[in-house]
Amino acid sequence: MPDPRETRVLLEHAEDPALRTIAGYKGYGGYATLERSYREMEQDEVLKELEDSGLRGRGGAGFSMGKKASFLPRGEMAKYLCCNADESEPGAFKDRELMQRNPHQLIEGIAIAALAADAGHAFIFIRGEYDAQADILDAAVAEAYEAGYLGTNILSTHRDLELVVHRGAGAYICGEETALLDALEGKRGNPRLKPPFPAVQGLYGGPTLINNVETLSNVPRIVANGAEWFRGFGTEQSPGTKVVSISGGVRRPGNYEVELGIPTRELIYGLAGGPREGREIKAFFPGGSSSPVLTAAEGLDLPYSFEAMAEAGSMLGSGSIIVADDRVSIPHLALRTARFYHHESCGKCTPCREGTNWTVKMLERMVHGEATPMDLDIVSSVQENIIGHCLCVLGDSMAMPVGAMVRKFRDEFEQVMAAAGPPLDDETRLAAVQGPAETLGASI
Amino acid sequence: MSREITLTIDGREVTAVEGEMLHDAARKGDVEIPVFCYEPKLGDPVGACRMCLVEIEGIPKLQTSCSTPVREGMVVHTRTEQVKQAQSAVVEFLLVNHPLDCPVCDKGGECPLQDITQGWGPGKSRVIDEKRHFQKPIELSPLIAIDRERCILCYRCVRFSQEVSEDAELQLLDRGDRTFVGTFDDRPYVAPFHGNITELCPVGALTSYTYRFRARPWDIEQAGSVCTLCPSQCNVSFTVRDEKVKRVLGRDNAEVDDGWLCDRGRYGFEMFADAKRVDGPRLKGGAATDWKTAIEAAAAGLLQAGEGRVAAIVGDASNEEGHLVQRIVREALGSPHVDSRPSRGPRRETIVGLAQPNLSARVRDIDDADVILVLGTDPLHSSPILDLRIRKAIRRNGARLAIATERPTALDGGAEAIARYAPGDAHHFILELTRALGGADTVATPLAESLEGAGKVVVVWGERIGSFGATALLDLAKALKLGEADGAGLLEVPDTTNARGLREAGCLPDAGPGLARVSGGKSTEEIRAALESGELTGLLLFGVDPIRDFPDTPAWEAAITAADFVVCFSMFETATAAKADVLFPLETHAEKDGTVTHPDGRLQRVRPSASRPGDIRPNFLVLSELAADLGLTTGIDSQPTAFAALTQAVPFYGSIDDASIGGRGIRWQDTPSGSKSPEPGKAPEPGSPDTQRGALGTIAETAADPRGVASADPGSGASLALGTYRDLWAGLITELNPPLKFLAPEQRVEISLTDANRMGLKNGDAVKVAQNGSSVSATVSIKERMSDGVCFLIEGTAAGNANALLNGGPVSVEITKVEA
Repeated sequence: MPDPRETRVLLEHAEDPALRTIAGYKGYGGYATLERSYREMEQDEVLKELEDSGLRGRGGAGFSMGKKASFLPRGEMAKYLCCNADESEPGAFKDRELMQRNPHQLIEGIAIAALAADAGHAFIFIRGEYDAQADILDAAVAEAYEAGYLGTNILSTHRDLELVVHRGAGAYICGEETALLDALEGKRGNPRLKPPFPAVQGLYGGPTLINNVETLSNVPRIVANGAEWFRGFGTEQSPGTKVVSISGGVRRPGNYEVELGIPTRELIYGLAGGPREGREIKAFFPGGSSSPVLTAAEGLDLPYSFEAMAEAGSMLGSGSIIVADDRVSIPHLALRTARFYHHESCGKCTPCREGTNWTVKMLERMVHGEATPMDLDIVSSVQENIIGHCLCVLGDSMAMPVGAMVRKFRDEFEQVMAAAGPPLDDETRLAAVQGPAETLGASI
Repeated sequence: MSREITLTIDGREVTAVEGEMLHDAARKGDVEIPVFCYEPKLGDPVGACRMCLVEIEGIPKLQTSCSTPVREGMVVHTRTEQVKQAQSAVVEFLLVNHPLDCPVCDKGGECPLQDITQGWGPGKSRVIDEKRHFQKPIELSPLIAIDRERCILCYRCVRFSQEVSEDAELQLLDRGDRTFVGTFDDRPYVAPFHGNITELCPVGALTSYTYRFRARPWDIEQAGSVCTLCPSQCNVSFTVRDEKVKRVLGRDNAEVDDGWLCDRGRYGFEMFADAKRVDGPRLKGGAATDWKTAIEAAAAGLLQAGEGRVAAIVGDASNEEGHLVQRIVREALGSPHVDSRPSRGPRRETIVGLAQPNLSARVRDIDDADVILVLGTDPLHSSPILDLRIRKAIRRNGARLAIATERPTALDGGAEAIARYAPGDAHHFILELTRALGGADTVATPLAESLEGAGKVVVVWGERIGSFGATALLDLAKALKLGEADGAGLLEVPDTTNARGLREAGCLPDAGPGLARVSGGKSTEEIRAALESGELTGLLLFGVDPIRDFPDTPAWEAAITAADFVVCFSMFETATAAKADVLFPLETHAEKDGTVTHPDGRLQRVRPSASRPGDIRPNFLVLSELAADLGLTTGIDSQPTAFAALTQAVPFYGSIDDASIGGRGIRWQDTPSGSKSPEPGKAPEPGSPDTQRGALGTIAETAADPRGVASADPGSGASLALGTYRDLWAGLITELNPPLKFLAPEQRVEISLTDANRMGLKNGDAVKVAQNGSSVSATVSIKERMSDGVCFLIEGTAAGNANALLNGGPVSVEITKVEA
């Protein structure tokens, strides 16, 4: 059962397994908004509702969804809508839950957003590892076609929408919107140069609206209840609710839907139960592994909103909190983070390709006791050399958290480096530095 | 879009064209911004290497100058601390995995990575970690080695393969810093333009086996010339060490080659020093002799043949050489029989008509064409660089492509409309196309539909459409209004490199220099017949090998054998050269000094770049001395005098001089003397060769029914209409250049699946292809997109040369399986 401290909108009735079926979804009033919007609303009305709502993208960048949709040129041409379901960032697992528990809410959201974008074709690009969720979506899409909510001449309104669920091959980079488009076109999933932005020239060269699963899942309720209703939740600049994935050193990791702007302490200590017995929180990623870490002192009392996190030098990102308690060795955490981005870098641009690789090598030497005294400064300067110089944000996604860790926990790095000795095998090293392998960073 | 704007770069005011990329605009202000991945020839920028980051006022983040279009008033800084830091960081990143093996790297000394590291790099390495390792070097292709450790993943080679040559064989495999360039399943990268990637590579990762460890940049000199291995006449730069060619590079000329070079031109240089090279004058039987003796012998023999009884056929020759040869024959030997075409060509009036400046397209016009019609040629085989040019027009500029040919072409995949006609039936198809454009419903209507209403139509046509095809083409040009639209026109793909130059220099039976009308000359085919009949007794061959390259091998053998006296200028020992009474050597395009004329009218200069082996002398001097011995004083003793004689004789070359040709050439149509091009005659004058060719008209009649040949015996037996084509790799190019040997085509007969099934043939079956007593051996190759009732063979192969089966008219052949 949901925690009463949550504000469940997107996850409302999520505990009911019947919600997955079209009958169950309709039982809670589902598809009524699609019916009304397809029958009664013009493109501009839908668009206005979305713009007025102030809904910000839930995939990471936090850009206004309505504004993005309004960038698509008008006129007779093939336009597309892509739902980004390539949720692959360490710490993020909220889209998985939304798709798994309420697939029809997403489909309805896509269909209504397609009106705003004037798109005739929509795709859900889902990461290959979300096999079970893709199966659920496939079934739900089939039901929606069957019920006449997708396809040609939807509800006899002469409006058409084809929706395809496309499974990615498991590359993190394909969550980057332009790499997603290339992958969807059957090419190697590499980011494209922007501009042109996808809204102008996206999939197959046509104007394309790309939104995250959670963003699109918000659409039916916004159009149903109006922008004002939506703005009743959250803060002025971060309206609405947010499904927050909390993981790491907490007692009750999981997804919690809350109003944006609640104290971060409430999320971590209240909903997620705080650190385990006898532990303290050392630091946390407020918005997935690509957000600069905040120390407990810096971050716990900030409101959990886009603006507050940006002001603190980090970001809300996809809304995924990863908690590091006092057992976590920050240098090891930095290495674990860097290894992920090194593994996932597509290799197209130089700073990311080489910078992630070099960073991993230096961090490895540090935790293996093979570092040189200059290495800490070199690691810092390499992160600075990556930030702002890459083709897409993947390089920055490593450089920002790793840079922040070196900056904020420099003494800890120096301690680890000073503990020089022969390189340790993984298990001994873990035992020596971290204690039992239970929490984050433990997988090194 | 072509508005001029002003921007400021590093405090300098720079005038640029609005919308051009900042990197290019900066160059105009003499500001160099380093790049690795950026190469405009490859299409849209990708912004991958991040080397060209610069600061633009008003934009917080640094921007890649390769992908930022310039705007009026833009203020750019390329040397601020922020920019320097970013650029130096990118160099440092590139060197994280780049081995510092410059002392043993072929690129060392001419390496962009070295230069940029020196100019923009940090100067000191902070990397102490191990670099990535690959097995190296390994064969990417039989011609190119790949060293993946040196690769900086700039994408250029892969983009070339995918977006320029469109062979899509090169791929990036794996990802991140494990990414490497390779092919599917490690198959060799075999494609006709793949050598270009060695020039695109900004490091020593891709090197040609022909050049690896052959020279160092400080040992070599670069010498600009023109490749004369095909009519594309690409601009090349020879890398010369110790006066010998070690490498051939492209020399970017947007008007000619767009900066690319095919592998034929790139790797076809080892033959310059082949043992089969004729390296001095020889007498009958191959005995070497001195020049004086040889020239005297040649003069004596030709005089003895008798006035009016000597003919000349010119092939691989410069304008000056062609001009001299026809003077010798016409003026010194009193004979009108000169030709420069392997088989029957159009009459002078047609040639003049097709050469009208308003009808002629320039190569660059392909880029901006609305529709390109490829007619009777496969550019890949006959003028390879045009294949890339046409692909570019389609891919980047949205040009539409229509194709009408006998045989499927390499460009078919990009075509909007394709028509196939029976071998030898081009003229008929063109007539039908012209009628279809006029509204009639004909076999060519579908093709006509894609041409209708198009503003700029460029017709890329092959000389092989024949004399009647060329005449029909004039009407088609009218129907398409090619003369009226700017950027529309005709572009010929001739059979021989300098076909246009030789025609204009006077090597035609019915036209002298400047295409002036003359009469009484015999065409190549007629020369052959007259030699056999004894009407002609002397033969001067310049840069041709009729026994191998001309249709009807047996007849040519007989004709040359029948001639009393044969003077042959040949680069290599050939079957034809072996029959010469006096054999003179020819210079290669790395040795020759002279001009050639591109099919679009561009005069280009072939410059001597390497030393001549053995006892070879400049051809124009030899010809001038031969003329003198025959009593004709030409006053030619140098290239300038030879060129002056040419421009005096050809009125529309009159205002061209060496300076105006320069390094890029000049189209005569664009010069003041271009207005002196001859007017097309209304009707053939009585007594001119045109009216004497009634017999040829009859041949045309018999060939008139297109399917007459193909369906003469429908559905039965093994009789098929024979078409032939010149394969890119057939001939001496693969025989005398060891690195290219693996590309030499074996004779194969291409047939449709239906015909193969009907005849019970499978791919790879050994067969005999026979016609009227002659036959060649071939293997069966079943092709998609082939019409039924026809088959194709390659001309000029070492074994089973299709020329043995040709006789100047339509040929049908029997295919019989040879049991193993």
